[in-house]
Amino acid sequence: MNSVLVSQINIGDTLPELSIDITPKLIVGAAIASRDYQNVHHDKDAAQALGSPDVFMNILTTNGLVGRYVTDWAGPGARLNKVAIRLGAPNYPGDTMVLSGQVKTVDADSARVELEVKGENKYGYHVTGKVVVALPT
Amino acid sequence: MSDELPDLTYYVGGNAGPYRDWDAVNAPMIRHWCEAMGDKNPIYTDAQAALEEGFPGVVAPPTMMQAWCMTGYSGQAAPGSTDADPMAVLPVLEAAGYPGVVAVNCEQEYERYLEEGDRIHFYSTIESISEEKATTLGTGFFVTQLCTFYDQRDEVVGTMRFRVFKYRPKASEEGQA
Repeated sequence: MNSVLVSQINIGDTLPELSIDITPKLIVGAAIASRDYQNVHHDKDAAQALGSPDVFMNILTTNGLVGRYVTDWAGPGARLNKVAIRLGAPNYPGDTMVLSGQVKTVDADSARVELEVKGENKYGYHVTGKVVVALPT
Repeated sequence: MSDELPDLTYYVGGNAGPYRDWDAVNAPMIRHWCEAMGDKNPIYTDAQAALEEGFPGVVAPPTMMQAWCMTGYSGQAAPGSTDADPMAVLPVLEAAGYPGVVAVNCEQEYERYLEEGDRIHFYSTIESISEEKATTLGTGFFVTQLCTFYDQRDEVVGTMRFRVFKYRPKASEEGQA
């Protein structure tokens, strides 16, 4: 696997979009992999009793997917420094989240790149945020 | 009508902890995480690939930091953890008539990648509690928690700033009007 070098990056560059099918398997499987057993992430009846139409994705999974999205693009030489997200519309089963990203700043001295990342589903933005990643020189 | 609201400044600050991990950072839990997230970054699962990137062995995805200290199936904090509720203000606000809660922000910063064998714990402080705010969800308070994660040498490995909105839903406000 090749890594993106900081010298190859320009402000305004966009990352390839990543489309993620939101399935019960993903929501439940990733909640358990992140050791989050809150019932709204695996029990539809419990989620509905609390006013949601269905189970929904937990925050650790959103973080995990955002981190994966950036290193899918940047490669194994990248080091995540920061993942700062704002949470919006929940991810429910049957939906699709499309992740997109754009380079906002490039600091050649520290080899750090700041990205704006968004994840949109049919209700709007599930996640918007900023990721800082250090790239190989 | 709002119930009597206690002095919320009492709940700002503090340093609750430690909240400990159940297991040392380990390859099987990393692999389970990567399978579920669809993360194929080889430094998380292939020791040789991690070695080529300058690590002594596989490393954990940094976004997994919080997972090591989750309570898990039992709902109990790991042995050696404090019994203190890191967000003690939330049940107080609930009792005062603000039952809704929604996570708003999660900001994680990483000092280093965690390696197999690392032992993680964190301490929690409440950075701020906002004035009462009206939003589309209802009226309530933004509560900002800062968790600082340490390793077995008590060196900081990362931080997480987590903000929730604890609110009285609009519909119930109308119902009470």
